[in-house]
Amino acid sequence: MASSPETCTFDDSVAEELIVGYTAQTLDPDAAIAFERHLKLCSRCRRLAAQQRAVWSALDDWQPHVVSADFDQRLAQRIADSRRLFARLYAFARWIWRPALPLAICAVLAVLFLLRDGPTGGRAVDARSSARIEQQVEHALDDMDMLKQIGEDVTVDRTSSPSRKI
Amino acid sequence: MLRVREGDQACFTLLLERHRNAVIHFLYRMVSNQAVAEELAQEVFLRVYRCRSNYQATAKFTTWLFRIATHLGLNSIRDGRYEKAQERLDREIDGVTRQVEDRRRTIEQELLFQAKLREVRRAIENLPSKQRAAVVMHKYEELGYSEIAGVLMCSESAVKSLLFRAYGSLRLRLAHMA
Repeated sequence: MASSPETCTFDDSVAEELIVGYTAQTLDPDAAIAFERHLKLCSRCRRLAAQQRAVWSALDDWQPHVVSADFDQRLAQRIADSRRLFARLYAFARWIWRPALPLAICAVLAVLFLLRDGPTGGRAVDARSSARIEQQVEHALDDMDMLKQIGEDVTVDRTSSPSRKI
Repeated sequence: MLRVREGDQACFTLLLERHRNAVIHFLYRMVSNQAVAEELAQEVFLRVYRCRSNYQATAKFTTWLFRIATHLGLNSIRDGRYEKAQERLDREIDGVTRQVEDRRRTIEQELLFQAKLREVRRAIENLPSKQRAAVVMHKYEELGYSEIAGVLMCSESAVKSLLFRAYGSLRLRLAHMA
């Protein structure tokens, strides 16, 4: 006797899992028997199970082609090619390493030399600039003395001149 | 695979013999093209060979193998590059489908069968690529939910959700074939 969809005791997801499992024959025997009993009562699950069987059978018709006879041979060739490529890359890396090594040593030595000389050069620059500053200070002091003398001479001239008194 | 890692060449041949067809058939149903499927399968086994020294037996070998195959299959579908380069035998030319000769069926039977097959293939091709991979692994490779979850790197409940949605779509398209 068929029942209405409302009488189905399973949630949608549970019913779906049971239907798929039942069609794929992956349910354990007890669950399969219980579900068969349910199918007799539930029209919705019966309909879905029939549709799933139709899908299953249609998918069965889609059979793959026969694999090419030379598949393994082609794969062996590709593996050999990739090995050869790897060997070439390794050989190239070894070849490039030989001239690179003395160059790298030279570069390291140059950097070390610059690092060693760097602070000394800096000190020389500092000494030169401080000497220039001292010179400038001396010039400035000389100029000030000269200006002071000129100022004193001008004052003496003012006090001794009669026309200025008026 | 552990012996292959140690450099046992004979074991790699054995591995290839055991899994070759499953991988090619899986990829064929993913990309719907035999030549492309074989090309991708070559890439799968080449990667297995290259990665043999780094292989860690943390999961089943088939899970690892199908993970590589699925990855390549999904990339191929996403790129769609082979579809343009290859001519399909069942492609319609001026409204006429070229038929591959099969002497076991009459012409009418063959036409009907090819039409049905085309519909099945279209229904599968129209599924989102992850659903397609899940259906192919479940239906044809007979992998369980947990194994599919391992391959697709998602939870078992996510796999169930993918599969049930896929079968729902297929029922809508193919149920009339009963």
